[in-house]
Amino acid sequence: MSCADLDAGPHPLLERVEVLANDRVGAGVGLLALRAPRVAAAVAPGQFVHLRIATGSDFLLRRPFSVHRAHGETIEILYQVLGRGTRELADRARGDVMDAIGPLGRGWDVPESAGHVLLVAGGLGAAPLGMLAERLAARGVAVSVAQGAPCAERLVARELFESVARRVEVATDDGSAGEPGFVTLVSRRLLETERPDLVCVCGPEPMARAVAAQAAEAGVTCRVSLERLMACGIGACLSCVVTTTGGRKRACVDGPVFDAGEVCWDGAEVPPRH
Amino acid sequence: MEQKFPRVTSADLRVEVAGLRLRNPVMTASGTFASGREYAGFIDLSRLGAVVTKGVSLQAWAGNESPRVAETASGMLNSIGLQNPGVEAFCARDLMWLSGRDVPVVVNVSGHSLEEYVRVVERLESEVAVAAYEVNISCPNVDEGGMAFGTSCAPAAAVTSAVRAATKRPLIVKLSPNVTDISEIARAVEDAGADAVSLVNTLLGMAIDAETRRPKLARVVGGLSGPAIKPVALRMVWQVARAIAVPVIGVGGIMTGEDAVEFLLAGATAVQVGTANFVDPTSTVRVLDGLTEYCARHGVARVSDLVGALEV
Ligand SMILES: Cc1cc2nc3c(=O)[nH]c(=O)nc-3n(C[C@H](O)[C@H](O)[C@H](O)COP(=O)(O)OP(=O)(O)OC[C@H]3O[C@@H](n4cnc5c(N)ncnc54)[C@H](O)[C@@H]3O)c2cc1C
Ligand SMILES: Cc1cc2nc3c(=O)[nH]c(=O)nc-3n(C[C@H](O)[C@H](O)[C@H](O)COP(=O)(O)O)c2cc1C
Ligand code: FES
Repeated sequence: MSCADLDAGPHPLLERVEVLANDRVGAGVGLLALRAPRVAAAVAPGQFVHLRIATGSDFLLRRPFSVHRAHGETIEILYQVLGRGTRELADRARGDVMDAIGPLGRGWDVPESAGHVLLVAGGLGAAPLGMLAERLAARGVAVSVAQGAPCAERLVARELFESVARRVEVATDDGSAGEPGFVTLVSRRLLETERPDLVCVCGPEPMARAVAAQAAEAGVTCRVSLERLMACGIGACLSCVVTTTGGRKRACVDGPVFDAGEVCWDGAEVPPRH
Repeated sequence: MEQKFPRVTSADLRVEVAGLRLRNPVMTASGTFASGREYAGFIDLSRLGAVVTKGVSLQAWAGNESPRVAETASGMLNSIGLQNPGVEAFCARDLMWLSGRDVPVVVNVSGHSLEEYVRVVERLESEVAVAAYEVNISCPNVDEGGMAFGTSCAPAAAVTSAVRAATKRPLIVKLSPNVTDISEIARAVEDAGADAVSLVNTLLGMAIDAETRRPKLARVVGGLSGPAIKPVALRMVWQVARAIAVPVIGVGGIMTGEDAVEFLLAGATAVQVGTANFVDPTSTVRVLDGLTEYCARHGVARVSDLVGALEV
């Protein structure tokens, strides 16, 4: 490996971003619009930003969030309120500034040859898939979406998917929208009926793993976005490793999107919340 | 790059540690800066006093299971477990890259056994890019070696003398705070030939999720770092600086130039910035600018005048 290889790829930026809007869009879900010209210009679907939500030594680490949409000088983030960081984020109002590092990581690389892509979203996994759906549709790629959530109120970005995809099917745990049950019921059916060239997945790891198995069975390439706890977000601390057939890789720079075939599902995902 | 403070160049920032002449006292802390490549887009590495690399062992180490980090009050726990590609890959990739950066390179050395420390250093001896070694006898995240060498005097001295015999280069030994009397260990490694000591490594800690009744780290315990440990680190630097004659490098919770000044006043000749790099990738130069600004504001002509200048 030469030094040139190691320097390949643009460096992420540290950018001061300004809140343009911050609205509640679902049960415990917010949509944050940020003025972030440099990140907006460079970001690709599946990449994320590492946000410094608050400063002060009692609130230390940044929080990683996928870019949900990017247009002009604006990026949008869809976030679920869970703990201190996301609670603070929900309190941010128009005009507030914070800093962001981004765009980070490797997103979904969709080959020119893929004419039809199936997106499978679980919960907030819909966030990065929103941007992917828009960009693929703009390229003339046919998009189908299988979307799942605990309840109808958590089916975020559904209108976006419906506006760009040729087919959207949903499942909710409580049956308040679409089919009752897991999104994997829907993804299995769409894999059969739609015969996509590629499957792109983002959601809880057990779901991603199940969809990856379905895709493998159907002989379709599958790319999954994985979450890990992240300290630096830029590849320096090794807190975010994913075990792959090629060894331990960093979710923040080598991912978060991985080829499902290289992932060794070792149960190292972020523990589920209660 | 944003600059919070005006760059004042009046004070003489140069310091000498372990025979190393540094352009200023601000170094990176091992394991928080990789080999610098990840930070090169955010800061000019050649402004730093030195880059201290991630710990390097003889063969590749896979590190611990995930989750490997947990945020805690004013700090974080990590149990990375010294994951690294081994010294051969380190030389080919990291050292080669770093050698062109106009910044002294301090290689942090890890080992499971006394022999492994020595063999890593032997392999690095032929690499001209290495300015000094920092021997880590204080990692709380590995089962064999690591901290076991740093928590009592005899093994700490044994590793130090073995490495001393293998190199004439400046030798820094990194001490663990997880001991009853850190001065005693510092004296032991000084007697065994260390040219300087750096302290502290992380404090052994633990975090629990009450809802799930499970530990937050897969390894259960991990090393605490960040602002939470600064008072402990300062106290230890102060104790050690009074106990030994060789220079002390202060590490632990440094976020600002003022924090760095506090470590110098307590007796450190140089400082390392760790966890702060995760919070703000420009932290090292921010600390440097803050230190420079402090010197200007207080009419300090040489930063070395601050070393041990605590008024009690
Ligand atoms: C690449 C990536 C993209 C993400 N994109 C989104 C998104 O678009 N929308 C969204 O709502 N969430 C997203 N997440 C998850 C989001 O980062 C966490 O929900 C958030 O950090 C929780 O912070 P908190 O302070 O509210 O929770 P706390 O539990 O109080 O946080 C404590 C610590 O755990 C970390 N943490 C907690 N949950 C997660 C998690 N699931 N993943 C990673 N770190 C976590 C926090 O960063 C923090 O360091 C993403 C995570 C990753 C890794
Ligand atoms: C993620 C992480 C990895 C670390 N890896 C190493 C290492 O490889 N070798 C070492 O000597 N110290 C290592 N340390 C310890 C730091 O170098 C430093 O001593 C400690 O974090 C205290 O400083 P801080 O509070 O500024 O972070 C690591 C610390 C962290 C947080
Ligand atoms: S979060 Fe630090 S290496 Fe990925």
